[in-house]
Amino acid sequence: MILYDFDYERPNTLQEATALLRQTEGKARLLAGGTDLLPNMRVQVLKPTMLISLGAITPRPPQAELDGSIRIDALTRLADLENSEFVRREIPMLAESAHVVGGNQIRQVATLGGNLCQETRCLYLNQEHDYQFTAPCYKRNGDCCYPFPGNKPGTCWSVYMSDTAPALIALSANVDIIGEAGVRTVPAETLFTGNSLEPLWLARTEIISSVVVPPIPTGFGWGYHKSTIRGGLEFAMANIAVALWLENDRKTCAGARIVVGAVSEGPLRALATEKSLVGQVLNADLLWKAADDASNEINPLPHHGFTRNYLNENIRVYLRRTLITAFERAYGMDA
Amino acid sequence: MSELKFVGKSFKRKDGPDKVTGRALYSEDVKLPGILIGRVLRSPHPHARIVSIDTSRAKALPGVKAVITVEDTKGIKHGFVETPRYPADQEVLARGKVVHVGEELAAVAAVDSFTAQQALELINVEYEILPGVFDPEKAMDPEAPKIHPSHPKIADKEPFSNIGGKTECGWGDVEKGFAESDYVREDRYESQLRTHGYLEPHVTLAHWESDKLNIWTSSMGTFVKRAKLAKTLDLPYSSVRIHKTYVGGTFGGKIDLYSHEYCAARLSILTGRPVRIVASREEIFSAYRHSQPLIVEVKTGVKNDGTIVAQQLRVINNAGAYRGSGVVVVFLAWGFTMAPYRCPNLKYEGYSVYTNYTVRAPQRGHGCPKVRFAIESQLDMIAEALGIDPITIRLRNARQPSEDLPNGDNVHNGNLPECIRVAAEKSDLLKKYGEARKSPQTGHIRRGIGIGVSAYFGGSLIYPNSSGVMVKMNDDGSAIVLTGAIDVGQGAETVICQIVAEELAIGMEDVKIISSDTDTTPQDIGAWVSGMTYITGNAARQAAGNARAKLIQVASEQMNAPVEDLWVEDKAVFNRQNPQQRMTYDQVFAASVATHRGDTIIGEGFWRTMRDVPTHPSLATTKGRWTENYAFSAQVAEVEVDIETGEAKLVKALTVHDCGFPVNPALVKGQVDGQVSMAMGHAFMEEVITRNGYTLNPNWLDYRMPTIHNMAASEDADVITEEYRVGEPYRTKEVGEGLVSGILAAMANAVYDATGVRLYTTPFSPERILSGLKKLEPSKTTGVRDQQSPEVL
Amino acid sequence: MSYLETISIEDTANVAKIEPKGRSRFITLSINGERHEITVKPRKMLIEVIRDTVGLTGTKGSCSSGTCGACTVLLSGRPVLSCITLAVECDGKEIRTVEDLAENGKLSALQEAFLDQGAVQCGFCTPGMLMSATALLERHSKPSLAQIKKGLEGNLCRCTGYNAIVDAVLQVSGQGVTPVMK
Repeated sequence: MILYDFDYERPNTLQEATALLRQTEGKARLLAGGTDLLPNMRVQVLKPTMLISLGAITPRPPQAELDGSIRIDALTRLADLENSEFVRREIPMLAESAHVVGGNQIRQVATLGGNLCQETRCLYLNQEHDYQFTAPCYKRNGDCCYPFPGNKPGTCWSVYMSDTAPALIALSANVDIIGEAGVRTVPAETLFTGNSLEPLWLARTEIISSVVVPPIPTGFGWGYHKSTIRGGLEFAMANIAVALWLENDRKTCAGARIVVGAVSEGPLRALATEKSLVGQVLNADLLWKAADDASNEINPLPHHGFTRNYLNENIRVYLRRTLITAFERAYGMDA
Repeated sequence: MSELKFVGKSFKRKDGPDKVTGRALYSEDVKLPGILIGRVLRSPHPHARIVSIDTSRAKALPGVKAVITVEDTKGIKHGFVETPRYPADQEVLARGKVVHVGEELAAVAAVDSFTAQQALELINVEYEILPGVFDPEKAMDPEAPKIHPSHPKIADKEPFSNIGGKTECGWGDVEKGFAESDYVREDRYESQLRTHGYLEPHVTLAHWESDKLNIWTSSMGTFVKRAKLAKTLDLPYSSVRIHKTYVGGTFGGKIDLYSHEYCAARLSILTGRPVRIVASREEIFSAYRHSQPLIVEVKTGVKNDGTIVAQQLRVINNAGAYRGSGVVVVFLAWGFTMAPYRCPNLKYEGYSVYTNYTVRAPQRGHGCPKVRFAIESQLDMIAEALGIDPITIRLRNARQPSEDLPNGDNVHNGNLPECIRVAAEKSDLLKKYGEARKSPQTGHIRRGIGIGVSAYFGGSLIYPNSSGVMVKMNDDGSAIVLTGAIDVGQGAETVICQIVAEELAIGMEDVKIISSDTDTTPQDIGAWVSGMTYITGNAARQAAGNARAKLIQVASEQMNAPVEDLWVEDKAVFNRQNPQQRMTYDQVFAASVATHRGDTIIGEGFWRTMRDVPTHPSLATTKGRWTENYAFSAQVAEVEVDIETGEAKLVKALTVHDCGFPVNPALVKGQVDGQVSMAMGHAFMEEVITRNGYTLNPNWLDYRMPTIHNMAASEDADVITEEYRVGEPYRTKEVGEGLVSGILAAMANAVYDATGVRLYTTPFSPERILSGLKKLEPSKTTGVRDQQSPEVL
Repeated sequence: MSYLETISIEDTANVAKIEPKGRSRFITLSINGERHEITVKPRKMLIEVIRDTVGLTGTKGSCSSGTCGACTVLLSGRPVLSCITLAVECDGKEIRTVEDLAENGKLSALQEAFLDQGAVQCGFCTPGMLMSATALLERHSKPSLAQIKKGLEGNLCRCTGYNAIVDAVLQVSGQGVTPVMK
């Protein structure tokens, strides 16, 4: 039950939706699956005065573009993504990352765009009651930070927990954004501001319309892992997406992308480690060292009761495993 | 006696069809015309003096029908325990000061939730903040902030602050015992704060109509609810009726009086309209009652062969801001200590300490898992130090059948040694134990096995102490059972029907049950002292037997046959000497009405535990008998631990229990599976995270109850020690809550077996296990290579 | 959440609202094959309409935040959480609730299997669990254990430990599990 009133519009196109966003001067929110937005409105982390439903707009099915890239409508539901034969064949890492989001009922309505645009999370955010805290924190337009009272004023250290974002970044995906000035295309990884108060570089009038995954290089392998306590119906302790691609000799690393999510204001890339792998003839020791390097590069925020120390350990171990899996796939061992 | 047709068989639930079709009415499903929505104003502070409460603006809001504070109550206190030593200590709304976050201050009734919410926001409360204390050992410090005065009997003797109560007892001479021991060790164990996890939130609908208070509420014992509501409202019991509703899980969290129940009732009395209050999940997590985190310090001395010589326990209960069931837990912790193993010298002290946390409630096991976790973990350590295996040391100390317990109880046929032997055999524990820690292992997964044992009481004396059942025969030979028993999911209604069907020799479909309505059914102990199958079941057996006796009496007159020759089968009375001579129940019924002054054949039955003992034992001294009904169990857990990440999971559980005999084996299995799952949550995932009394994870994403992904294989085996004979009293034993305990200890011992890491604090989080592994062998966890790799690697 | 509120009180008597917005909308829902034309505030959740306006109380509310699955219903065949679904979003759509599973008073094979296996204890998760299982079986007639787990992962059950629920799905899909209760 949401205990305040808001207006509701149901445009037929994304263009109409942007017009509505413009008219409401940023006080409206887009409603797709609503699985993140509506619970946040219930506890009044978010309090839009209008919801602009995208429910009347039917997403186009995922399809290959002429250049071999794959375009996925942002309104594609996660369940349709994980169950799409096409997506599972062409970009299995994305299907896998969608497969582990929330629980089944969430994935039935939650969309890819919505998953990218989800709110950051913090133990201290999601518990508005009529009595719980006397003062709102920075995220609630207040003047304090409960978990990190000593941090720089105005800084919110809630974490961004999308499961699909790290996969998309590892896949070098781009996102198309519809705004007042038409469509702009940006790499998925540049969406993130690093500021938990406003985690995405999206104007209030902009809408992510689709995600485009460029052609998968030859000799490509991937690894994805979501660390949780109970294996489902849960946000991540950390999530890891790794992409490796090899030269024709099937040994030498032609490129690597290592992304860790759910432990910071946005997904983190281990850029230095990625760079250090390129041109190397890969072997287990090297990948293990890469995992250690990458986990040292990542500086996880303690969150939801997990300490920085443990997150580091967990990330280190699963980086090893996902790197090895990615290499095995690239090498063709899993075929 | 002929073979049993109903008892001992797995009949489907009587309430099943209602529950799978959505017809079952839970409290929130009851609709009345003109319902008002009630809401409760709660304290935002863990400890503060209430300077003033101003409700005038809320009262003036259109749509608000009533607002109450403690000034609108009669000021009658209530408590989970109400004895001369521990009198009622809690008002229904806070007076003078608040002592925990979420404490109830005021309540409103309004035409809708919107208005009710606005009304809450319009109530002005002025507080003067007081320092809070949250750690029980800090709260005991003489200089600590005082939540309530220490109990006068303790304050006289000990310097501690905030002592709500203490249990102290012992026998023998522990110092001498330790001196005579070959091996002595002392350990300290701690447990986390856990919630019950009932899916149905607390809901109360109250309707005051024609001088009668009608209540539909989420409950585990309608007669307890009636008594406490009537008391705090100052009404006769006859003016309060608790109606039957289905209940969506309780696990201990829906007994006693909750403030919102009083508020709904009072608001209905004031407005003359039905008032419903639904607790939000956040309220339940943040302001309602959870279990009781215990610190258990245990020192044990043994002989070289593992025989326990002396044991000393000090238990500290972080008992929350009122007495609640805190003083009961420190009493029970002693019971769970002494029941499974012989111990000639024992010293026990348990403190129930006030802290600025929410009030505590019983929770499935009521302290037992925490005590058994401590004792069973330590016993494994002792066994290892002495070079004895985990089975031998347990058999060495396990109580034998017919043993007397130190409190004068007797375990009767209870057979713990047999449970341990069967568990060892079925699990092949001795062969598997130690494997993971022997030869070098490959891979990062280690498998371990462990055992834990436990004992649990059933049906002890606590209000209302007994159950009555009535069986009304219908003139077609079918029967209606009237019982106060409440089916909270355990299957009480089904079991009672099986017993009645057996005693009356009629079909399950011939028995219909009317239950847990305080006006139409006899008084019942409720579903919270683990004795319903024993107590209410025996009352049902007696009631059906009473009806049967009446049927036989009438038939005897009609058939001209002596009563001794007559018996019943297939809804008829027949002559054993001449089986052709028989009267169907409908014929007997008609004859009874015709010849017995219209007697329509109503059977009555009553039962209580320990009919020769007037009252329950002393919570303070443990003196006095407790029960005649001890269940024993041995449980084995097999776990897998990822030694690189510390992630662990329960793979397989074996529960061998002595429940006497199962009236319905499949329902017993359901209890076993549910308890294994709850214990697994206790062991590996659940924790109410708090800071300064505020709950930080008041939802089911961040408080992690097991999902279907965590399901473990669960096997059970009954050790049959009792039997059912038609017409005779029987002794079934507890099977609904004690089995969260041995398995918890078994999981701790299995994690040790897998990894060598000994855990002293629940939950066994990946971080705790990993940090234990790192302490053991700093290099090991960073260099295990197990992946299948391409040849080029 | 009383039926009074859903009928008219909130739109008429409740004049003192802080933000008097949220114009009600007229929507048409097909619930269990029956057509319902109702006027709702945008903030009204589907579960409130099903339980309070239409009066089908089989669907259970437990967490109000989409974290437990008790409120699961089928919306255009998909299992969704009615406690975090706006009723206005369901305009023109078909909804199935637990009340639709039995036909003419006869329990469905899935409902029978739940009773046969002891998959029901307190019964509060049961309606949602049954709806998730219905969707699962419509997608996979013989689901694997992994598919069962993914299909039912969004439904919490505190009573059973899930073992009997899995067995019920295996029984009804003819995968070698026989009834344990009679």
